Amino acid sequence: MSAQPSTTPTRRRNRFARVPLLVWVFLLVPFVVELFWVFWPAANSFSLALTRWDGIGLAEPVGLQNFRDLAADPIFLTALRNNVIWVLGFGGLSVVGGLVLAVTLNKPGPLVGLYRSAIYLPMVVSLAVSGLFWRVMYAPEGPINGTLGLLGLESLERQWLADPAVALWAVLIAAVWRQVGYIMVLYLAGLKGTDGTLEEAAAVDGANAWQRFWRIVMPQLRGVNTVVFAVTVIDSLRTFDIVWAMTRGGPYNETQLLSTYMFQQAFTTGNLGYASAIAVVIFALAIGFIITYLARQARTED
Amino acid sequence: MSKRTITRRELLAGGMTLGAASLLAACVGTTPGGGGGGGASTGAITLQNSIQDADPKAALEALVKAFPDGEVTLNSVATEQFRAQLTNYLRSGDSPEVLSWYAGSVARSYAEEGLLLDVSSLWQGDGPCAGYSDALRALSSDASGKQIFVPTSYYWWGVFYKKSAFEKWGVEAPTSWDEFHALCENLSGQGIVPLTNGLSSTPWMASGWFDYLNLRVNGAQYHRELLAGEHAFNDPEVVAVMEEYKRLIPYFDKNAASYTAQDAATPVAQDKSAMYLSGTFVTTYFPEDQRDDIDFFSVPVINDSVPTAEEAPTDGFFASANSDNHEGALDLLAYLASTTSQQQFIEQSKSANLPTSPDVDTSSFSPLVQKGIELLNTTEEITQFFNRDSSDALQATADTALTKFLADPGSMKKTLDEWQKAAEGVFAS
Repeated sequence: MSAQPSTTPTRRRNRFARVPLLVWVFLLVPFVVELFWVFWPAANSFSLALTRWDGIGLAEPVGLQNFRDLAADPIFLTALRNNVIWVLGFGGLSVVGGLVLAVTLNKPGPLVGLYRSAIYLPMVVSLAVSGLFWRVMYAPEGPINGTLGLLGLESLERQWLADPAVALWAVLIAAVWRQVGYIMVLYLAGLKGTDGTLEEAAAVDGANAWQRFWRIVMPQLRGVNTVVFAVTVIDSLRTFDIVWAMTRGGPYNETQLLSTYMFQQAFTTGNLGYASAIAVVIFALAIGFIITYLARQARTED
Repeated sequence: MSKRTITRRELLAGGMTLGAASLLAACVGTTPGGGGGGGASTGAITLQNSIQDADPKAALEALVKAFPDGEVTLNSVATEQFRAQLTNYLRSGDSPEVLSWYAGSVARSYAEEGLLLDVSSLWQGDGPCAGYSDALRALSSDASGKQIFVPTSYYWWGVFYKKSAFEKWGVEAPTSWDEFHALCENLSGQGIVPLTNGLSSTPWMASGWFDYLNLRVNGAQYHRELLAGEHAFNDPEVVAVMEEYKRLIPYFDKNAASYTAQDAATPVAQDKSAMYLSGTFVTTYFPEDQRDDIDFFSVPVINDSVPTAEEAPTDGFFASANSDNHEGALDLLAYLASTTSQQQFIEQSKSANLPTSPDVDTSSFSPLVQKGIELLNTTEEITQFFNRDSSDALQATADTALTKFLADPGSMKKTLDEWQKAAEGVFAS
C-alpha cells in the first residue's frame, strides 16, 4: 500500500520487459490453478442457478424461475433483511469500535501492549470456537443472565439466542467482539504511518483534539479506510460460521443470513440450483457494494 | 497517482476472487470423501460411517477390526457433514464400498438413482437377513421390491424419566392421557418442570411430540399420508393435533428453546425436570451412574379408535453401486448383519439399541432394553421419525413451523398455513 514515486509509462514498459520469463511462469501457474479451482466452479454455480438440481439426478433447466421463487420466499427475504442489518451493524460497530480502540491505544502508556494483544486475541480463535464460547455466555443459566441477576436486573434476562427479538443482535455482538481487534490492528498500522508533525502544527494553530483528528489524521488514513471497507463488506457478506455455530439460522429462521440459508438449501434440503441462485445474489451484492464504493472513491480523488 | 489506481483495481479483482470464493463454499465437496483411496489391491474395503458418540464408535471400530475377510478402512465423519457429502460419496468414481445410513424413504431415493448395490442375496436362503421381520424387509426394499439396505439396529422413542425421582415426588407413570395431564399438574404444583426438550440447534426434537400426538389423535396411516403430501398441514385433523400440543406448552421447560437435545437431559439428571420424550439415545446423555435409574413409558392413548403406534428409527448400512469391490462390500455387510456382530455391537456401544436379527440373545440386555423390545413387539404400527418417513427438506419446514408454534401458539392457524405453503414447495421440487 505504500505510495511509490510515479514512473513514466515508457520506463514502466521497460520494467515489464525486464521481468524474467521464470517470473511469468511462476505467476502463470497459480493463475491457471486459480482459473480451474476458483473461477470455473464459480462460473458453474452461475449456470446451476438457472436449474433445478437435487445433486443426484440430472440438472433440469428452469430459466429464471429460481430467482422468481426467491422474490416470493419469506425466508429469503428475512435473510436478505438480516444481511442488510448485518452489513451495517457488524461493519459499523467493528469499524467504529476498532478506530476508537486504535486511537486510544496508539498513545504510549502502561500496559498498552497488553491491552492491544488482549483485544486482538479473539481474532486468533476460529469463528466456530468463538461461537461455542458465546453460546455458553448466552446460555439461559449462563454468565450473562447470571450477572444481570446479581445486579438485580432480572427483567433484562433473556433467552438470548432463542428470542427472535434479540437473537440476531446477540450473534452480531459476538462477531463484532472478534472483528474489532482486527480492525484495530489495521488502524494502528495506519496511525503509525501518519505524520505527527502535522498534528503538532495544527495544535500550535489552535485546533482542538476533535478538529485535529477529523481534519488532519483522518485524511491521512484514506488508504487504510479503503482496505477496512473492503475487508468489512466482504467479511460481513460471507459471515457463516459464527451464525451456524450459535443459532443455525434459528429460532425459526429469524437469524438466517444469505450464507446460512444458502448452505441449508444446498446441503440440508438438497436444492443445489436454488442454493446457487442465492449464491449469485450474494456475489452480486458483494461486487455491487465494492464497485459503488470504489467508483465514489475514485471520483473524490480526481 | 497511476500506481494508486492499479492498487485499487487489484483490490477489486481481489474482491471478486473473494466473492467467488464465497460462491465456491456452495461447491466444495467435489473432492471424493472416501479416504483410504488405495484402490490398487482388490481386497480393499472402505466403510464410511456417521457414528460420532464415543462408545458406539469404539464398538464399531472393534467390530471392523475383527472382520476376517480382509482389511477394512473405517472413515468416521460427523453426521451433518456425512449428510451433506453422502451424494458425493455415492457418485464418486472410487466410492466407499459400504456406508452407514437410514432405512426407508431416504435409502429408497438413492436406490431410484441407481446408486445403491442390490443386496437381495443377503435376504434370501440362509443369508444373514433372511430371518428379519417383514416390517424390516419392507423398510429395506426399493420400489421394485429388491433389497438395497441392511438394517443392523433400531431404537424406540418414549417418555423417559428417573425412577428414583418419581419415587421422591410420590408419582407414578401414567396409563391414560388424563393421568398424564394430572401428573404434569401435580409436578408443576411441586415446583418441578414436567417436560423438557432441546430445540436450539436440534429443532427437529419438536417433531417428536408432533409425531406422537398425530399418531395418537389421527393414527399412523393418516400420519404417513400427511408426510407423503396427501393431506394438508392446515387440515382440521392437524389443527386437532396442535390443540393437544398447545395444552402441553405450559408444562415445558421455559428454556427448551435455548437447550440442545443433549442440554435438555441435564435438568432431568438434576431432578429439576421430570420427563423427556426422546429416542433411546437420550440414555447416553445421562451420567453413567444414573443410567440404571432410567425408565420410560409410551405416550398414553388419546383416541381409542386408532391403532397403537410407536416410532422406531432403523439404522444400518448400504453399499455403493459405484465401488470397485462389490464382493467385499457384500461380505462386510453380511458380517455386520450377523447375529454375533449385532450382539457384540449392542453390548459394547452401551446404548439402548435393539438388534434387527431375531436370533440375537437379548436375555443379557438391560431391563430397559427388554421393555423396549416388548413395546415394539406389542404395538400395532411402527413409524420411524418425521424426517425418515418423509425427507430432510420436509423436516426443515416442520422445524420452522413447530418452533414458531411453540414460541407463539396464538398464531397457530397462520403458522400452519405457512407450513402447508412451505411443504407444497418441497413436494413440488
